[in-house]
Amino acid sequence: MPQKVAKIETGFSGRHPALWAIAFAAALGAIAYCEHRGFLGGWRSLPFVAAATLFLFPLTKAANNRQAAAGALSPATRRYNRRMLIWNLGYVLCLGIAMTVRNYLHPQGALLWGIAVLPSVPMIFFVWALARYVVEEEDEYLRYRQTSAALIGLALVLLAGTLWGFMETFGVAPHVPAWWVVPVWAIGLGLGQMIMASAERRADRT
Amino acid sequence: MKNRLKVLRAERDWSQGDLAERLEVSRQSVNAIETGKYDPSLPLAFRIADLFDMRIEEIFLRS
Repeated sequence: MPQKVAKIETGFSGRHPALWAIAFAAALGAIAYCEHRGFLGGWRSLPFVAAATLFLFPLTKAANNRQAAAGALSPATRRYNRRMLIWNLGYVLCLGIAMTVRNYLHPQGALLWGIAVLPSVPMIFFVWALARYVVEEEDEYLRYRQTSAALIGLALVLLAGTLWGFMETFGVAPHVPAWWVVPVWAIGLGLGQMIMASAERRADRT
Repeated sequence: MKNRLKVLRAERDWSQGDLAERLEVSRQSVNAIETGKYDPSLPLAFRIADLFDMRIEEIFLRS
């Protein structure tokens, strides 16, 4: 699995992937705010959500470029990045369908159960993609690096979930839906990768 | 664990990328092993030793 030497691109997709992730999150946050204030909602939100989703494409490309420049883009990593893009798109699509059906059809019974479960279906693909990465990654250091970052994400989920859960139980914090585990895990994964990169830079200097 | 990978690589005028290609690992892996941030598995340590035609203990030093 020889690694191609690549330099960091400086153009559109040469930005740091975190910037695209922040842009994506900010766009979704802005849409949520507009819905909360009544400027958007239902069908009117969909074009904006679709436009925000477009940030995922340069995010994936920027991640590939960054990893290639760092000598860390293995074939398994490239496949993992592509699968994460597919999962993200599927998640947004399923969530959009579920919200739209709920808002316009006000379903009951089996259909309500169906749309309640729908946004979770892409998570099966997400978990499969994580497992496939661990199986397919032939580079032991990259596998160790990604696994460590994922464990840091898990640690953040466990800590934040337990802390918030007890705060809710004792009535000092508002209820937070359980689906927040994925965004919190993703933040932890990003933090983990930053910690690993920082440790590598420190080791480089010594 | 300390190692002599950087010196051995420099003696052959290989870049990290050259060594990574010969070992079929990522350049980041070579960097992590060289800087002592990561200790390779036994199979990878044997591959490194075979590449330099040396014994493992001649490359990786007890700290």
